[in-house]
Amino acid sequence: MNIICSPAGIMDPVFPGQGVLDMAGAGFENTVLDLTMYCSPGELEDVGKPQTTAWKRKEAAETERKRKVLISEEPAGLSHEIKPFLEKCAESRIEASVAIAPCLKWTTRREELEALLTQLVQESIRVCGQAGIPYLVVQPLFSGVAKGEEWEKNRGYFLELAGYARENGVQILLQNQCRDINGHLNRGICSAPEEAADWIDRLNREAGEERFGFCMDVGTYNLCGQNMREAAVILGRRVKAVILRDCNGRDKSAMLPFTCVNRGRSVTDWLGLIRGLRETGFDGELILHFEDTACAFSPLLRPELMRLAKAAAEYFRWQIGIENFLKKYDSVVLFGAGRMCRNYMKYYGDRYQPLYTCDNNPELWGAEVCGLPVKNPESLKELPENCAILICNIFYREIEQQLREMGVGNPIDYFNDEYM
Amino acid sequence: MKIGVQTKNVINDDNPKEGFALLKRVGFSCADFSLNGYLNNEALYRGEINSFFDRTVQELEHFFTPHKMGANAAGIEISQMHMPYPNYVPKGAGELNEYLKNVVAPKSMQVCAFLGCPYIVIHGFKLAELLGSEEAEWAATESFLDFLAPMAREMGITICVENLYCGISNHIVEGPCCDAGKAAERIDRMNERYHAEVLGFCFDTGHANLVGIDFENFMARLGHRLKVLHIHDNDGIADLHQIPYTFTRTRENNSSTDWDGFVRGLSRAGYRGTLSFETAPVLTAFPEVLKEEVLRLIASIGGCFAEGRI
Repeated sequence: MNIICSPAGIMDPVFPGQGVLDMAGAGFENTVLDLTMYCSPGELEDVGKPQTTAWKRKEAAETERKRKVLISEEPAGLSHEIKPFLEKCAESRIEASVAIAPCLKWTTRREELEALLTQLVQESIRVCGQAGIPYLVVQPLFSGVAKGEEWEKNRGYFLELAGYARENGVQILLQNQCRDINGHLNRGICSAPEEAADWIDRLNREAGEERFGFCMDVGTYNLCGQNMREAAVILGRRVKAVILRDCNGRDKSAMLPFTCVNRGRSVTDWLGLIRGLRETGFDGELILHFEDTACAFSPLLRPELMRLAKAAAEYFRWQIGIENFLKKYDSVVLFGAGRMCRNYMKYYGDRYQPLYTCDNNPELWGAEVCGLPVKNPESLKELPENCAILICNIFYREIEQQLREMGVGNPIDYFNDEYM
Repeated sequence: MKIGVQTKNVINDDNPKEGFALLKRVGFSCADFSLNGYLNNEALYRGEINSFFDRTVQELEHFFTPHKMGANAAGIEISQMHMPYPNYVPKGAGELNEYLKNVVAPKSMQVCAFLGCPYIVIHGFKLAELLGSEEAEWAATESFLDFLAPMAREMGITICVENLYCGISNHIVEGPCCDAGKAAERIDRMNERYHAEVLGFCFDTGHANLVGIDFENFMARLGHRLKVLHIHDNDGIADLHQIPYTFTRTRENNSSTDWDGFVRGLSRAGYRGTLSFETAPVLTAFPEVLKEEVLRLIASIGGCFAEGRI
């Protein structure tokens, strides 16, 4: 599973140096080539509109100062525009693993941009090919597409793109969308996992190869209150990338996971997501997208934020692939004889049977929990060398310190049942 | 199509006849009997239960006889009923859950039959988080339905499951029965098993709006399995049970709920049942003197839906 940091909110596309340094400084090795940063939904919304307001004039002046071309006017300029970012990434040994193609706002009323969008996506595919980026996320056509005609319209669109994608060695990822109903975001194209799975299968069949996959946008699922465990399970191996994006379930924002909370609990169903991805053995691209959080933090604090973000991403990877760390050890014992121990036994006891568990509570010594004898922690001093101790208690660090002070030299790891 | 509204906040136990007459006067021909009003759901979640359903079936029938007569006298058909909910309290006391299953549910069916009501709406169990999957959750609900189905077949009642929501820290997410495809398959399977239409669906517009469900596609997928409706509106954030067309979010001031899609969904589902509104909170929010006008407005909206005038 690749951990990927989206540069949105972190990196200035014209002066990408510091943003890339911040990502590298936090230990990120992979990033997203987010082409919406070079041709934004706002820019597409304004295509062909006169630049009359003061704000527009200011933006035009900025454009000139940075010598930036408008990609919507010159799609071929995209490869030139992204060069500084890719060069800085190369310097910092950061690899772009996924790209996101320019797309429209969900609220758009523009219905005549299909030709331009096609051109932009084709250019994006070419750019991916040049940069060796294997995945490109492409928004389905939706604006002006009549109800019931979504598949037919997009079938032609995506199959046309498939040829370019093949030539450039790129896999196109569809993504769950919202539909705007007078300001209220509802489930849009490919939001129903069955529909998305069906589209991908049909497109791949018609393309004659696995040219299409799926990118789950957690923020979008969250906006529509969708069951993410079900989505992950239904989409299964079609899911090549997951965008981890927190939001309050009402507004389209991109916050750092676990930061949108209420009454001490996250409002996003991370439990369902992790359960689903774990169940399907997800091993794809895990994209951390926290543009709004990053923008809100002072640039002075950005390095600290980035380290936290990296730790959060690592945590997701660990939770999703929790079994991977259990496989590492020849044998294990548990520390803790409470709920977490029982959950370990419930979910993994059969496959990774511990020798025993131990607990600091002397009243439990000699008893059994889920068939496991509960012993005095002193017993851990007699463990065979390669046997790991899994701490099944939330006082992880304190217990680890206790064990080290006891002189236990065996590997110590943490088990966690928060997302079982 | 007939137009109905829930009885909560309209029909009073001390003079039900008056309430039913009011409903008829303002343009309704049907009522959704709010049996759930006799067992408070919030109290149930707290593990508290009143003694209403300790009554024998005969006592319950006696209690509801004025309601039945009042509806008959006014020419109001009790077209659907809401069973008290929840039918199962997650992590609740075993005794409480046994009572809900073995006492409240069967007696609700008896009351439903007594009032001549063909549909009773139940809430599926909210257990996905606890049991780990939606499938396991449905298995628990199905077991409850299997308990009631023989009774439903005998009484000629169709039990309807409705699309529900759950809350995660004040954020509403989809709950039981939010997948129309699965619901359709499950309904068909159960009805085949019992050789009768013991199970159908109640589409709740407000709950669907909270989790961004596409009304039209959902209703179309349900098709003939869609038996009854809970029509109400909200802001997409909280389950407010307001009058359709109440909420807007943009300067254009168009409804932020997809009522056009709802009407198209009725048509694509081939729905010919009752357009029933679940808008009880509106009736206490407005001044009492406006109650009749409010009900008239609701009935008028139902008329527009029925005629496809949107």
